[in-house]
Amino acid sequence: MFGYLQIQKSELLVREFDAYKAVYCGLCKQIGKEYSFLTRFGLSYDCTFYAMLIMSVKRSCTGFSDGRCTCNPLKKCKFADCSSDSYSKASAFWIISAYYKLKDDLKDDGFFKRFLLRMVIPFFSHWHKKAARKFPKIDRYASEMMEMQADAENDSDCSVDKAAHPTAYLLANIFSLEAQNDTDKRVFYEFGYHIGRWVYLIDAADDIQKDMENNNFNPFLKSGDKPDVNYITAVLNQSLARAYEAYNLIDIKDFKGILDNMILLGFPSVQNKVTEKIYGGNNE
Amino acid sequence: MNNPYEVLGVSENATDEEIKAAYRKLAKKYHPDNYTDSPLADVAEQKMKEINEAYDTINQMRQKGKGTGSTANNSSYGSDTNSSSQFYSVRIYIQRNMIDQAEQLLDSTPMGSRTAEWYYLKGMCAYRRGWSEQAFSNFTTACNMDPNNSEYRAAMNNMQSQRTYNYGGYNQPNMQNQTGCTCCDVCTAMICADCLCDCCNAGC
Repeated sequence: MFGYLQIQKSELLVREFDAYKAVYCGLCKQIGKEYSFLTRFGLSYDCTFYAMLIMSVKRSCTGFSDGRCTCNPLKKCKFADCSSDSYSKASAFWIISAYYKLKDDLKDDGFFKRFLLRMVIPFFSHWHKKAARKFPKIDRYASEMMEMQADAENDSDCSVDKAAHPTAYLLANIFSLEAQNDTDKRVFYEFGYHIGRWVYLIDAADDIQKDMENNNFNPFLKSGDKPDVNYITAVLNQSLARAYEAYNLIDIKDFKGILDNMILLGFPSVQNKVTEKIYGGNNE
Repeated sequence: MNNPYEVLGVSENATDEEIKAAYRKLAKKYHPDNYTDSPLADVAEQKMKEINEAYDTINQMRQKGKGTGSTANNSSYGSDTNSSSQFYSVRIYIQRNMIDQAEQLLDSTPMGSRTAEWYYLKGMCAYRRGWSEQAFSNFTTACNMDPNNSEYRAAMNNMQSQRTYNYGGYNQPNMQNQTGCTCCDVCTAMICADCLCDCCNAGC
């Protein structure tokens, strides 16, 4: 998970922005409590989106309390209180995905970076064990995803669909853990699938320049030519459009304004930034 | 049945106009046109039914006679299955969301008899799985093989609109940014307008 699931701050109401920050801070506090204060610094927007979504459908946000920022004692902040395991789940998801990401990085980065990774991985594997014990299903889906991903990247003729499938599959399954019945499950699956697909593809699009220089795997670089911005935009648009279709069928209870803002404005504006970058790169 | 007011998301004291507006908004959201080919079409249809019922109930409770404006849309999508079609059972599987079985049947079709319909259905399977790119290329093939078929054309159009839809009216990257009306432009315009107003007031 890479931090693409953002809000469009300028379009949020002030109270919505405060609520968003309060969920972020609440999640940060929980991660610090359950794992280590060090893991706090890696907290991403993606995890906040996930926490917010599950808190919304579970109605588990019970209110806000004042406190001090856990990283900077001089700063006052609000924390969103949560009555169920939404925060724990989101933190576990973060730890588990970070662990697998680091293990994956170990394979292809330079000597120096590998050395650094080897230093931190023991810590992560300890935290990962703890998270996996609490939420074994999340861990199972994440490890399945890593296998599928490796399989897809080794395929010389890998289609965009196939490359994006593992991440999409992971989010689809994790989102559908929230479902109450079979219909709900299908809706969450579809929503998670297309959000996951979009996250994977936007990350791939964002890395195009880097991957071109280093000759790394990238689903958008196949013909060897310059990447086609129109094509990339179409593929990304389609994922968002289909995610939105499913989102409309989810019974969103709290934070509706914020979640709407993310899906309708935040994600598209992140996407436009990325595609503009590729367009700029092509014209250099 | 749930409280019809809750279904429409309005309070019991809402005026008729408010209820109508809420109903219209929801009906637009769940309209079958938004879910053409979607694996969730039946879920949307169910929601549509619920709001239709809720709206009718409220109207009856308020003694307005029969629910007017209710758009009970019974033209359930996909039910227009052509029974003479070569791939009848494939279509049934797709309708029931049994994509594995549908694909199995399709894959067992010999190369020679892979018609436009075969490509269309293959695309539909991919679409249901979320593999949009594969679906897109199969629909394209189907349309090229049989350009006059409205069913294939409709699936293609649906895809095209999803692919070109960028929410919120933000500029697409290829359009030069400078030509659009940016936030700054809006701001400047507002400030100018404000100045003009002030001038007037001061003058008055």
